[in-house]
Amino acid sequence: MSIQSLIIGLLALFFGFVLEHLPMPDLIGWFQPLWVLVVVTLLVFQAPRTFGLWLAVPAGLMLDAEHATLMGTHVFTMAIHIFLVQLFFRRMEVFNLFQQMGVVLVLALLHQLLRFWLAQVLFDYPHPIDIWGPALSSVFVWPWVFALLRLTVLRTHT
Amino acid sequence: MPAYQGQRTLLVCLLALALMWADQNYSIVQTLRFAAGYVLYPAQQAALIPSSIAGWFSELGTARQDLLDENRQLSARNLVLELKAQRLASLEAENAELRELLSASEQVDDKVLVTTVVAIDPDPFSQQVLINKGSENGVFIGQPVLDAYGLLGQVVDVLPFSSKVMMIADSNHAIPVQINRNGVRAIATGTGALDQLELIYVPNTADIKEGDLLVSSGLGGRYPRGYPVAVVDRVEHQAGQMFASVTARPSAHLDRSRLLLLVFSQGAGKVPSKDLWKGAR
Repeated sequence: MSIQSLIIGLLALFFGFVLEHLPMPDLIGWFQPLWVLVVVTLLVFQAPRTFGLWLAVPAGLMLDAEHATLMGTHVFTMAIHIFLVQLFFRRMEVFNLFQQMGVVLVLALLHQLLRFWLAQVLFDYPHPIDIWGPALSSVFVWPWVFALLRLTVLRTHT
Repeated sequence: MPAYQGQRTLLVCLLALALMWADQNYSIVQTLRFAAGYVLYPAQQAALIPSSIAGWFSELGTARQDLLDENRQLSARNLVLELKAQRLASLEAENAELRELLSASEQVDDKVLVTTVVAIDPDPFSQQVLINKGSENGVFIGQPVLDAYGLLGQVVDVLPFSSKVMMIADSNHAIPVQINRNGVRAIATGTGALDQLELIYVPNTADIKEGDLLVSSGLGGRYPRGYPVAVVDRVEHQAGQMFASVTARPSAHLDRSRLLLLVFSQGAGKVPSKDLWKGAR
């Protein structure tokens, strides 16, 4: 665990939450990317020794507070998400950008689907089509966030 | 992948499910939500910065929008007024045409300028009106003024964009006339009453009857010749008196006409203002 990547990672998470909270016009609000998910993915992918499963608890709880979901919902989805990223990150390193985007799409969709299932078990979730918008937009922000964090000193296996 | 990562993930997932169950059933988890909210607060505030800046800008924009709206309203109002003015101009032109047709066409071969009465002199002893044409329009002192039915008066004071017209009924006013029927000359003076002129110096023996039309004679060079001035409405021959007492009713609608004509006729009206004032006052 390196202090430097921890600080950069937390800063990135902070901005992830800022963007997550950013008020969006109704029209494109449906497409608001899962910023925190993307950042968490990237952190776990780029600095797996610093950011691991533990990140699921604070990030998940804050996401629950942010989205006013039942406490633990996002912890659950985040834990599974981080586990899958850790499972894939070796392969993701040799993937090109489009393959990475494909992985992010699958992961984001799974995250959304889990959220949807959990919400449906516990409440009435609006509409299943809501799953797709954020997942798709998350895929398209992935390369940018990836490139941005690559500019920092955050490097693989720190 | 650290060792036992799947089991750890499973553990975290189970904890999360337990937390969800607890959150649904016990309010104690709310404190956790509050704690998470506190941590979130800076991020949320940061997220609101753009929107508060946008709000500030939109406030600026609103003020600007208000101004634009006001401007638009004023422009629209201006347009309406201009439209009205345009209509007035066209009506004036139309009226002038009709007027030219109405007042015996042989008389109106003079150049005319249409004008509007904008004010009436409140002085009861003077019968004067203010018109909306002045020296900028070529109006000059002594210029004859007509309405649709006859001679109305003359210009006695000129300002750049307005003029004062003394009407023939003003008690200071006199106009040389002749009876249209036989050419007998007389002088019609104002009485101060709008509906009455007096003919002075009419010999008792003069051929004058009620209903005779009096037209301007053109003598004195002030008024052009041949415009209707008044209709005789009473003739009294008094024994022992040198002159007959004759009153006439002005042809022009002195108390009603709003649109007037300023006449530019050759040789008429061009009298030095000094002389005019002498005559008028």
